[in-house]
Amino acid sequence: MKMAVFWGCCILTSQYAYEMSIRQVLPHFDIELVDLSEAICCGDPIKSVNNFSAGYLAARALSLASSTGLGDLLVPCNRCHFTLSETKKTIQDNTTTGQKMLGLLGEEGLKYDANIKMWHIIDLLHDYVGLKRIEQAVTKPLKGLKVATHAGCQIIRYTDVGRVDDAENPTKLDELIKALGAEVVEYPEKLDCCGAALLRSHADTALSLAGSKLKAVQNLQADGMVVSCPECQLMFDAKQKDAGTTVGAKLHVPVVYYTQLLGLAMGIDEKKLGLDLNQSPVDQLQAKICA
Amino acid sequence: MTKIGVYVCHCGINIAGVVDVQKVAEYAKTLPDVVVSKHYMYMCSEPGQRMIQEDIRNKELDRVVIATCSPRMHEETFRRAVAEAGLNPYLTEIVNLREQVSWAHTHEPEKATEKAKALVRMGIARSRLLEPLEKHRVSVEKSILVVGGGIAGIQTSLDLANAGFPVYLVEKTPSIGGRMAQLDKTFPTLDCSACILTPKMVDVVKHPNITTLTNAEVTDVKGFVGNYEVTILKKPRYVDEKKCVGCGICAQVCPVKVPDEFNENLTQKRAISIYSTHAVPNVAIINSNYCLRLKHGKGVCGKCQEACEAKAVEFEERPETIHAKVGGIVLAVGSEVFNASQMGELGYGRFKNVISNIEFERISDASGPTGGKILSPKNGETPKTIAFIQCVGSRDKRFHEYCCRVGCMVTLKQAILAREKIRENVKIYICYIDMRAFGKGYDEFYTRARDMDIDFVAGLPSEIHESSDGSLYFDVYDKGTNKLLQIRADLVVLGTGLVPNKDLADISALIHASRSADGFLLEAHPKLRPLETAAAGIFLAGACQGPKDIPDTVAQASGAAAKALDLLSRGEIELEPLKATVEEDLCSGCKICASICPFLAIEMTTDVIDGKERTKAGVIEAMCQGCGLCGSACPTGAIKIQQYTSTQVITQVDAAFAERCVKGGK
Amino acid sequence: MGLCDLMSMAKPNIEVRDKILARIGGKELANCFQCGKCTSGCTALKLLELKPHEIIKLVNLGFVDELPSSDIIWTCVTCLKCVQRCPQKASPYHVIIALRNLAVEREAKVPESYMKAVSQILETGQIDTYQKIVTRNMETVDRERLKLPKICQPKESFQIVFMKTMEEKTV
Repeated sequence: MKMAVFWGCCILTSQYAYEMSIRQVLPHFDIELVDLSEAICCGDPIKSVNNFSAGYLAARALSLASSTGLGDLLVPCNRCHFTLSETKKTIQDNTTTGQKMLGLLGEEGLKYDANIKMWHIIDLLHDYVGLKRIEQAVTKPLKGLKVATHAGCQIIRYTDVGRVDDAENPTKLDELIKALGAEVVEYPEKLDCCGAALLRSHADTALSLAGSKLKAVQNLQADGMVVSCPECQLMFDAKQKDAGTTVGAKLHVPVVYYTQLLGLAMGIDEKKLGLDLNQSPVDQLQAKICA
Repeated sequence: MTKIGVYVCHCGINIAGVVDVQKVAEYAKTLPDVVVSKHYMYMCSEPGQRMIQEDIRNKELDRVVIATCSPRMHEETFRRAVAEAGLNPYLTEIVNLREQVSWAHTHEPEKATEKAKALVRMGIARSRLLEPLEKHRVSVEKSILVVGGGIAGIQTSLDLANAGFPVYLVEKTPSIGGRMAQLDKTFPTLDCSACILTPKMVDVVKHPNITTLTNAEVTDVKGFVGNYEVTILKKPRYVDEKKCVGCGICAQVCPVKVPDEFNENLTQKRAISIYSTHAVPNVAIINSNYCLRLKHGKGVCGKCQEACEAKAVEFEERPETIHAKVGGIVLAVGSEVFNASQMGELGYGRFKNVISNIEFERISDASGPTGGKILSPKNGETPKTIAFIQCVGSRDKRFHEYCCRVGCMVTLKQAILAREKIRENVKIYICYIDMRAFGKGYDEFYTRARDMDIDFVAGLPSEIHESSDGSLYFDVYDKGTNKLLQIRADLVVLGTGLVPNKDLADISALIHASRSADGFLLEAHPKLRPLETAAAGIFLAGACQGPKDIPDTVAQASGAAAKALDLLSRGEIELEPLKATVEEDLCSGCKICASICPFLAIEMTTDVIDGKERTKAGVIEAMCQGCGLCGSACPTGAIKIQQYTSTQVITQVDAAFAERCVKGGK
Repeated sequence: MGLCDLMSMAKPNIEVRDKILARIGGKELANCFQCGKCTSGCTALKLLELKPHEIIKLVNLGFVDELPSSDIIWTCVTCLKCVQRCPQKASPYHVIIALRNLAVEREAKVPESYMKAVSQILETGQIDTYQKIVTRNMETVDRERLKLPKICQPKESFQIVFMKTMEEKTV
């Protein structure tokens, strides 16, 4: 099926590997992605400055999606997905805020279609594509690989705006990994936050949060950590060294996007999946797979 | 010539504060047939009533119109007053100037007064068409059905039986006793629950006036107050109640293990077993979902039958249907405990050492799965730290908004029991929002707990985690010390609240008992009528009406019995005559009325008249509630609703438009 | 008459509190009964001492004037655990966002990064410019090198409407 895709800022400007791996794996499941006509921010970073403005940006993103004429929209970033979901609900509940947003959209000649269905990578692959098709697409089962999952915060919370998995016991990402033939390790810190939201204003705290979680995963002796959000990847992968320094630990945890792991299991070339862009020691993960 | 008396009530300032009652009374005097029109402070008071009575006698009034508060308040009062003066009480018309005028239009006194005049005009117009009616009497079946054999049902049954009335006590599990039988000790006295309950249970089964039906359910209820026809299904035990001596040998030889419901699935029992330690009746029962013989037929197993010396095992037993006629029904079906796996952050269902309060109760009970020793389920050892967490599933907009009323006292009790059993070798923490110890001796009980080195943390944890050894840990912010504490416990007990039974929806539909917003059964009035439902003859007792402790349950149960006695003692009740009536000559026998009557109050009878078959509708007066559906549906106008005839209503409408006294709206 | 904080001599500002309540609309701020669950699970508590239950109580009692100029409101990690688990749906996260907006309106101290984000969005529609990334193999790559498609910047009309939205105030 054809679906629109909203990448947000992080993926388009620095987290290229996520975009690359998504563009590589989805065609195998007959999903064609259509970019929006404009690249804009979902509004999340400016919620703290002006929440209405932020919601407006999200509404604008949803309108751009509507104007593709497609009924489905993929939003691979956890935070973008949450922001768009909250705004969708604000407009759906017919609040005065929602009405104001629609009015302003009209000033640019943009229309808003309430019926657009939003997806994230987790539910697109787990619910729409389905575990069976994923299993069937695997040519190199990741036998013996043990990974820890980090679904993230804003994709499972808060339930009232409709999220893609259970907030207290999320299992979809785990099942997606098992479908690749790998094992999943449970750990108490599973629902802990990566700290990304504080990176620009309280860097030490943000890195400390990421570092603590990485330390916990390292102690599990897992072969790696799987994420599904570019902000989380930024913290755990690109900032792993700094995080380690902050918590006083030597961290060497391979951190990959689910779509990168899926791609490897499907036999797709690692360069096409952007694996050389990962800053964490993914070579040791790949070595385990090839062994 | 009709002589109408009009009385306009001030109702203190409730009506007079907005409506110019004097003007209304003066206006009424100008209308035809009105011979007296007065206004007074409180028409419902003794002097007010006497005023009406004197006028009826002296001025020979034959209609009385009282413009006052809602008829739901004092219609009965005024009817009685009118009857005492010798006039038929149904020739009284109440006009509502309070709820419909002064309270609705508090800020528009002029318009309110005009509306009051219009309503009085309408009331007068209708009063001319009122007809005298007589109340009818129906006999009352002098017996009661009590649904639910917990402490509420037991208490109600004993009270009624001791008063000399026969009682059918129906309990769906194989033993009476309910939740109280599952408890170890009861607060605030720490009485042994079984010790105070079992004598009552034995009294029930021994009482000549009580027919105890266990392993039974009510499947149908027909009829009306005083004359209910109930159908009870007694499901087979496959064990003869008269022969079984409760020796328990059958359970010892049975090879099949099944979940033990009474012990909250903390342990297993056998497919044939006695339901609980103090079961009454103390008779075995076979679980037909698991029994090999019952599932696979003759020739399979049958070990219990072989071993039973009393020859009590009966694989051929059939369900029994019992029909009974009763005058009233008491619902005492109890409540359930909140399933905490809905609150994923606490780990119930995922972590073995996180248990509910009812599970703790079974562990603490000497007749429970651990012989009364407090042990952590995962490793079977005595816990070194126990943490209690309050308000699980209660006071929570995500699950149940209400406070469960008993959670705090249950936890205090369980903490004290843990301290008494494990002595100083255990640390006990209670994490709470508020400690609610409201009853007699309750706050003293709370003091007792604090005296026993039980620590109280003013705050709730957000999430619980499990360590590799099965022990649990969580962070909790204590508002008293302003510290973030981490508690490591080998047993976490959740203060799970009481919630409505899953089958309450079915029961409520079966017996026409409504439910309130919180899901429990709805009482007729929250303050003034807490023991009965809106349906006459259906009473409420115990936790099915709302979560409550044993003292309140027993009080309510005795109260419900008193209400039932009120119904039964006189042997007959009076019915309001405001019913539907059928004018047979106009009835075409189309049956539309019978098909829409929600109270099954219309029966069609076929007679042969002049050689032809004629079907006509007839109203069963005792069941008719006067709702009027049949009257409006009847195509020929054969059905008339007493005091709400079409003519009466249309006359009121005409009277409403007789004068244009207020400028219309936009 | 009324209430006064003896430490700071501050009095409740009910007008501003009610405006905040209207802003976050639907979140039952007033229903908070101080169970403390939000603070027990707050990601920012240990390192930055954020106590969401305290913030809610201050707002409920009307002590809103000290909060916008505080540092504490900028410590929330937006993990949303408090929103998910609050038994009264009081949602501390949404209150904190409203307080941050108030801080911006009152021109109190706002971490730089947020205002930078606004100007960047105004300029290019996004909060960052396209970055060059150094791979583990010491290669420098960008979108073009990786053959990723170009997506246009928003048209001019966007800037005008965006500026309009920034005029929406709490007070």
